Amino acid sequence: MALVGIVKRFGPALALNRVDLVLRSGEVHALMGENGAGKSTLIKVLAGVLRPDAGTVQMNGGALMASGGDPAALGLRFLHQELQVVPGVSVAENIYLGHRFPSRFGLVQWRRLRAGAAAALARLGLDHIDPSGPMAGLGPGDQMLVRIAATLVRGGGADPWLYVMDEPTAALSDAEAGRLFAVIAELKAAGAGVLYVSHRIEEVLRLADRITVLRDGAVVARHDRGAADQPRLIHDMTGRSLAVHPVQAPVAAAGAAVLTLRGLAAGTLHSLDLTLCRGEIVGIAGLAGSGRNAALKALIGAIPRRGQVLLGNRPLAQTPAAAWAQGVAYVPRERRSQGVMLWRPLSETVALPHLRRLQRGGILQKRAERAMVARLSGDVRLKSRGTAQMVGQLSGGNQQKVLFARALAGQPKLLLLDEPTRGVDVGARFDLHDLIRDLARQGVAVLVASSDLPELIALCDRIAILHRGVMTGLLPTSGLTEAGLLAACYREPQP
Amino acid sequence: MIGRIMRGYGTLIGIVLLIGFFWANLPGTFMTAQNLLNISQQISMLAVVAATMTVVMVMGDFDLSVGSMASLSGVVAAVLFVQGWPIWAGVAAALAVGLAGGLVNGFLVSVVGILPFVATLATLTMQSGLAFVISGGKTIFGRDIPAEFAGFARGGVALWQSAEKPVLLPSLTITALAVAALVWLVLEQTTYGRRLYAIGGNIEAARLAGVRVTWLRLTAFGFTGAGAAAAGLMYAARVASANPVQGSGLMLSGIAAVFLGMTMSESGQPRVLATLAGVLVLGVMDNGLTQMQVDSYVREVLVGGIILLAVSISALGRRAIGR
Repeated sequence: MALVGIVKRFGPALALNRVDLVLRSGEVHALMGENGAGKSTLIKVLAGVLRPDAGTVQMNGGALMASGGDPAALGLRFLHQELQVVPGVSVAENIYLGHRFPSRFGLVQWRRLRAGAAAALARLGLDHIDPSGPMAGLGPGDQMLVRIAATLVRGGGADPWLYVMDEPTAALSDAEAGRLFAVIAELKAAGAGVLYVSHRIEEVLRLADRITVLRDGAVVARHDRGAADQPRLIHDMTGRSLAVHPVQAPVAAAGAAVLTLRGLAAGTLHSLDLTLCRGEIVGIAGLAGSGRNAALKALIGAIPRRGQVLLGNRPLAQTPAAAWAQGVAYVPRERRSQGVMLWRPLSETVALPHLRRLQRGGILQKRAERAMVARLSGDVRLKSRGTAQMVGQLSGGNQQKVLFARALAGQPKLLLLDEPTRGVDVGARFDLHDLIRDLARQGVAVLVASSDLPELIALCDRIAILHRGVMTGLLPTSGLTEAGLLAACYREPQP
Repeated sequence: MIGRIMRGYGTLIGIVLLIGFFWANLPGTFMTAQNLLNISQQISMLAVVAATMTVVMVMGDFDLSVGSMASLSGVVAAVLFVQGWPIWAGVAAALAVGLAGGLVNGFLVSVVGILPFVATLATLTMQSGLAFVISGGKTIFGRDIPAEFAGFARGGVALWQSAEKPVLLPSLTITALAVAALVWLVLEQTTYGRRLYAIGGNIEAARLAGVRVTWLRLTAFGFTGAGAAAAGLMYAARVASANPVQGSGLMLSGIAAVFLGMTMSESGQPRVLATLAGVLVLGVMDNGLTQMQVDSYVREVLVGGIILLAVSISALGRRAIGR
């Protein structure tokens, strides 16, 4: 299969600029590039979801999809980061999802179903997965392997010959990733090809027979196995050669310590040592799954954690209620699902963590609440039709300002920001950055986790780098470039 | 525009139309002070159940066990009266049973994590069985029920004097108003109520903002249980007897009243005053149709149809404005 001269524009932006890509059966082809380099757009063209503005998709030499055919009928199978599984039913039923269940007289033949599922699993060497067991009992890695096994069941389009895997290891543990690699080897041995999209250089170097690197919508480099190494790929992706920054030990900065972390571990985060001082803005950078977001969730008490956490010189509480009461404020990553109450007045979202201060004998002092929300709305430059307006009627940027107003209300000592300007327009982003700097000047310690590297560089005094749950560096921002930061994110921890 | 009006005021317009309909068809008997006071007494039990049901429905939960709890509390009080307990002690014990039952529901839903439908369906069955066990399956009535207990339901506050006997505002109506006022105070004026609405608005956001979700859900079910027990006592006093199934009709009507009320609020959330309007719709229909001598089974078909109509109009109106 070949993609020839693919061009795709979104308005004035050129997402793909004459991209050629040749995919062969029996080999693993890795696709790399920074966020926004055009990887997902290219996959969507391949899947027939997007129609290219120019160029053709050819198979066995013949032009094939002008408007996008049925990729399954062409033998393509897509495995996305978000798994499409039904957790409530058995592994075997998940394997047959999208296929006809074997049946006789309209009744499902469960024995044949299980046998077919077991055969599919066995072909990949997945003997540790019980086809009768519940899907929900499997980890994310095994669930992905089950999805691959599902493509081996006959009857759903042409026999698969090309698997497209988009960041398959982002949510997997090392052991799970290891099993995935074994399965990829099986698929390859059986003559199938894999298009492997990943940020993780070490994986790509290990798996790929060919590597194609995209930058700003164009192919900037192609390598065969053995022809590339880590610095080379980083250079290809970022377009710059990079001096390697020395890893600095956590320094005790001048001001009084507000937050002290020793061996913080939670979820995908294995170990984080960090000290935040009054008025300091510290960023957390890292790839998806590095533990970046888990760190903040653990600090507000939303997920269980281990390790020592001191706020000032007292241990930080383990529940959100107690953490807010101690002077921690939190802006969550998912604004709509974790932050606001969309169809309640915005004042209720703002006041919620501070109700204890707005009551007398349990009775809510609504006048004080309105005054507080009105004052804060001004502070964050919120555009609304008053404090009673529903949050759902505001723009994304103003919804985010509602969450900032809420974070400010208690005069916090520590502000935790998870992707503070995600999905926010440029003006609101500017306002929010201003606000964060203002707060720091007033002595608030700010911890920002973000996938937006220019944002981190613009805001932070220091940036902690996480790699697979371990801190691999703590860089001062002065003189740091985006490319340098990105390179640091990719770097393996020194043994 | 029409969608917006129907969404906000559809149920109120419905009440007015309903009253107009019965007024026209029952001249001289429907729109009298005495009949309206009768209606207020007839709906008082339902009002108490629906108002306290609103407390859990605000969080997006509900409680199917209120009907069996009402029966159980009436039976508990009556059995204690038989054993010679004073009225206040029997009433207090029955209310305590209701509170405990509600807290058990809350524990199952919030701590154990069972869906409210399943948890309260199971406790409904258990309470219903318990009511039979305690009463021996018999109706407790007559001399076993203290005269003052039944007398409470017949009494009231004299509003004015008319032709020999005073016109009374029934004690049961006053009780229902007091419960509704208490629920209104809790839901609309306290930080506790505000947090319950936050849980209903977005449970994960509420948790991350420091709302102690588990504890609040647990305690909110206590209100509903105690309210159901109070309604059971009111019912037992009104009919001067207690049997193990007499509260069973309250559950579906209670939930229906809250749903009718939800059609009146802008964002589709339950509010206690709107719930009372829903109770009024059900009560007025029941009273009017009974007076028009509509067969009770036909009445059920009509009541169900009206509920569907109101909720459908509200849902369509919401879709029309893109919510």
